Amino acid sequence: MHLLHRRRWIVLGLAPALLVYLLFAVFPILQSVYLSFMDWDGLTAMRFIGLGNYIEALQNPTFWNSFKNNLYVVAASVFGQVPIALALALLLNRRIKGAKFFRTAGFLPVVISTVIVSLTWSMVYNTEYGLLNRFLKAVGLGSLAQNWLGDPKWAMLSVCITIIWQFIGLYFIIFLAALQNVPQELYEAAELDGASEWVKTWKITIPMIKETLLVSVILCISGSLRTFDLIYVMTNGGPARATEVMAIYMFNETFSSTRYGYGSAVSVLILAFSLMLIYVASKVFETKTIQEKGERGAV
Amino acid sequence: MVLILYSLINTYPLFWMVLNSFKTAKEFSLNPFSLPTVWHWENYKEAWRVAKLGLYFSNSIRVSVLATVLTVLLGALASYFLSRFEFRGKKWVSALFLFGMLIPVHAMLVPMFILMQKLGILNTLWALLFPYIAFNLPITIFILSSFMEAFPRDIEESAVMDGCGVLRIFWSIILPMSRPALATVTILNFINHWNEFAFALVLINRSELKTVPLGLANFAGEYSTNYVVQMAGLTMALLPVVIIYLFLEKYLVKGMTAGAVKG
Amino acid sequence: MNRSWRKSLTSLSFFLLGVFLLALAGCGGGKQTSPSESAQTQSKQVELTFWNNWTQPIPEHQILLKRVESFQNEYPDIKIKMDTIPHDQYKIKIKTQAAGKQLPDMFQVWPGAELEPLVKGGVVAPIDDLVNEWKDQLIPADQLADYAIDGKQYAIPGVVVYTHLIYYDKDILSSVGYEEFPKTYEELKDLIRKLRERGITPIALGNKAKWVLQSCYASMIGDRMTGSDFLPKVLSGEKTFTDPDFIRSLEIIKELTDLKAFNEDMNSIDNIQQRDYFYQGKAAMFIEGTWVFGDVMEKAGDRKIGLAVFPTIEGGKGDPRSIPGVTGDGIAINSNLTPEKKEAAYTFLKYFYHEDLYKELLAGGVLVPAQVNPPEDAADLFKNELMPLVSNSKISPVYDAVLPAQLTDIINNGLQAITVGGTTPQGLAEEMQNALGKLNK
Repeated sequence: MHLLHRRRWIVLGLAPALLVYLLFAVFPILQSVYLSFMDWDGLTAMRFIGLGNYIEALQNPTFWNSFKNNLYVVAASVFGQVPIALALALLLNRRIKGAKFFRTAGFLPVVISTVIVSLTWSMVYNTEYGLLNRFLKAVGLGSLAQNWLGDPKWAMLSVCITIIWQFIGLYFIIFLAALQNVPQELYEAAELDGASEWVKTWKITIPMIKETLLVSVILCISGSLRTFDLIYVMTNGGPARATEVMAIYMFNETFSSTRYGYGSAVSVLILAFSLMLIYVASKVFETKTIQEKGERGAV
Repeated sequence: MVLILYSLINTYPLFWMVLNSFKTAKEFSLNPFSLPTVWHWENYKEAWRVAKLGLYFSNSIRVSVLATVLTVLLGALASYFLSRFEFRGKKWVSALFLFGMLIPVHAMLVPMFILMQKLGILNTLWALLFPYIAFNLPITIFILSSFMEAFPRDIEESAVMDGCGVLRIFWSIILPMSRPALATVTILNFINHWNEFAFALVLINRSELKTVPLGLANFAGEYSTNYVVQMAGLTMALLPVVIIYLFLEKYLVKGMTAGAVKG
Repeated sequence: MNRSWRKSLTSLSFFLLGVFLLALAGCGGGKQTSPSESAQTQSKQVELTFWNNWTQPIPEHQILLKRVESFQNEYPDIKIKMDTIPHDQYKIKIKTQAAGKQLPDMFQVWPGAELEPLVKGGVVAPIDDLVNEWKDQLIPADQLADYAIDGKQYAIPGVVVYTHLIYYDKDILSSVGYEEFPKTYEELKDLIRKLRERGITPIALGNKAKWVLQSCYASMIGDRMTGSDFLPKVLSGEKTFTDPDFIRSLEIIKELTDLKAFNEDMNSIDNIQQRDYFYQGKAAMFIEGTWVFGDVMEKAGDRKIGLAVFPTIEGGKGDPRSIPGVTGDGIAINSNLTPEKKEAAYTFLKYFYHEDLYKELLAGGVLVPAQVNPPEDAADLFKNELMPLVSNSKISPVYDAVLPAQLTDIINNGLQAITVGGTTPQGLAEEMQNALGKLNK
């Protein structure tokens, strides 16, 4: 029997992680699914209402508003955080002066408390005294100055920029680690062929860290669809629900209105949307892989 | 140039926090940008007292370290088998691990509270340890297995020819080769455990077992927040994370060339 | 092969599960008090768990905590096991505990809309057999009413907060010709225009958290227009939110916004920052509750501060003396207590809500529902400005203390929407009425 198929070892190796995970993550999730079919305020008796909560959510414009806002965050994260983090990782994976300092600085936003991030960025965005508007006025672009967080038109964009900034560091260190996996020999061989930096990055690095790229996109999608903390302290979903995302909507329904069943239904919907988007993302990656393989085969 | 500007933007909030942590509340209200006129070290003493950091620090360290070690260990083992072995149901196991990343934590509070109550471990550190491990396993496994998957396939083959067993390969070949990814997940796990708030809030009542984030919440009240003391508290709470990061940072970039033994 | 795999899987799972459960049982059990220990404590001592949100270094919280401490010294046989949790987190935690049927023996409760579900769920016990200790002696009956549901009393109020007070800078007002605060809404608008012309923000507003416009503005302006019996009548179906008086009160908020009475960033700063704008001299006034009194004394005590309430509005049906207010710091008793524990809890309540507590609170600048006299040495602002305003006033309802949570959520967001042009006063009124109709279905 081949090593790669030794079942007993596989079972033994996966069991501890699976056990803890099943009992303390999957079980409560299933419980939440169960609650989503109930009408329950946590105090009086539960009442089974079938799909009632789901129907209510899907017919509620406030829910769809939070869904739409959430899609902005997903898009900003996937197309903002991942490319910037990748570029940063590629740049700082070399021996340049001060690389260690820059790496630390790049990671810093991830560890700074959300309260501080919110306070400082609010000062940047403030209409009257904010750095951004002052800067725009100073360079003669005063007409572009906006009420960044107070105007429903701009609030979501402003919040997204802060979110991008906050989590670049997370993907940055994931990519940095992955880059250590690319064998130096491949680059050396390519250099002998006279390949440019660009070609090396595109033809060697990216394909080698593809798995990690996909994982990052998955993390990005799941993280953005659950995003809560920063928006909660920075705008509290306002003004007038302009930045209310699904997790905030769900939180308010669960703990202000004390509707555990409805809140659970919204959470299950969040889970379902995440699965759909992740499915799409992995399909996109798959087709790209096939294309690349085809190209390579043709050469 | 761009890098310098970017680093400036990134470090500014930190500086701002540390500076303001030395001011009086009135100074901060009147001008949040100025330098403190007198450096008020007593804010730190006050923060230490109000947030009960003396007690909560040791609780947090215990939970975070234990949870991090266990998550990374269990996660690495699972990743090894998920990435280097072939078996039926592999895809399903991977997909199963996805679910833990997809549900908002606030939806888990009531089910988790009831679960812990039934298991009789409410108000013990176990009540934090297990959910922390369970909800951080997914990201740990995804990062580690994507990393391990990229290793050349001939590693095990040559190792088997040398007579190595499954665990031996894991311990002496795969783990050392995964050092950069292990450093990454260790850092991320520690940050997540250290900052975790919602579970700690509902699952722990006893003051002797509370963690740092619960203490830090004490600065915000119904109608006002004591920002300067809060910033002093946040600065102190940041230290362990920064220390862990700086300690592990060198492994992030010291990969193949230094660590790996190639068959 | 397949079978052996399954067998090993099953046996392994059972083994691990067994170890796991043993470990859990060991740890869980170990943490609980051993039987002998609890038997001992029972014979001598009654232990009561008690949760509140008194975490702040403000006089109100510190005085209440001191009272618990002195009870502890006076009654060593009753052990109070107290847990203090910050306000926002307290609410989440109490709700989770309630869902798990694990509420503490005594816990702080808020009146009205927040108390009602606890009463309907049967988790708090009425204290009607105790209420005569206070009723119409120390505390007037109408101040007790907030904590009564369907005629039964569930807690004794410790403090009273008025959610609306206008804090203004007398020097800035006199610089535009106002030696006194405007007496009518038209005059107030005139004042706002004059301040704007001078380049001063008339009213500092921080409505990020959304409750400020509702509790401190709409509750007051609404009462001026509709009178205090409007909300109960709407909830019972006699009136509707689309009543022209109510819509007019929402229009006034829109008018104030259109007049640029507020700072432009009102929806992105919070109520702490709104005060900062006032302290920094950027604004002539701000509107918040009595809870900021101490903060104003500390940070702007050197300036000439005046206090006022919203002036009369033409066509309004409300009493011009009324101010929205609500009582607080009530302590409810778990309905599941043993007779000994219940007796101990009663002893605690009797001791806690004593005349001395109210005197101390008042001396600390905290308003109380009890009839006690303010101390002689109180600060001038307290004696000459605050006391005349409130002692002469009538308490009127605060919206979020009376409305069901879903409606509070709608009006909070709706008021923000009015200020950014996302909805109209008419639209918000209709939305609220529709939501109410659904709730009553």
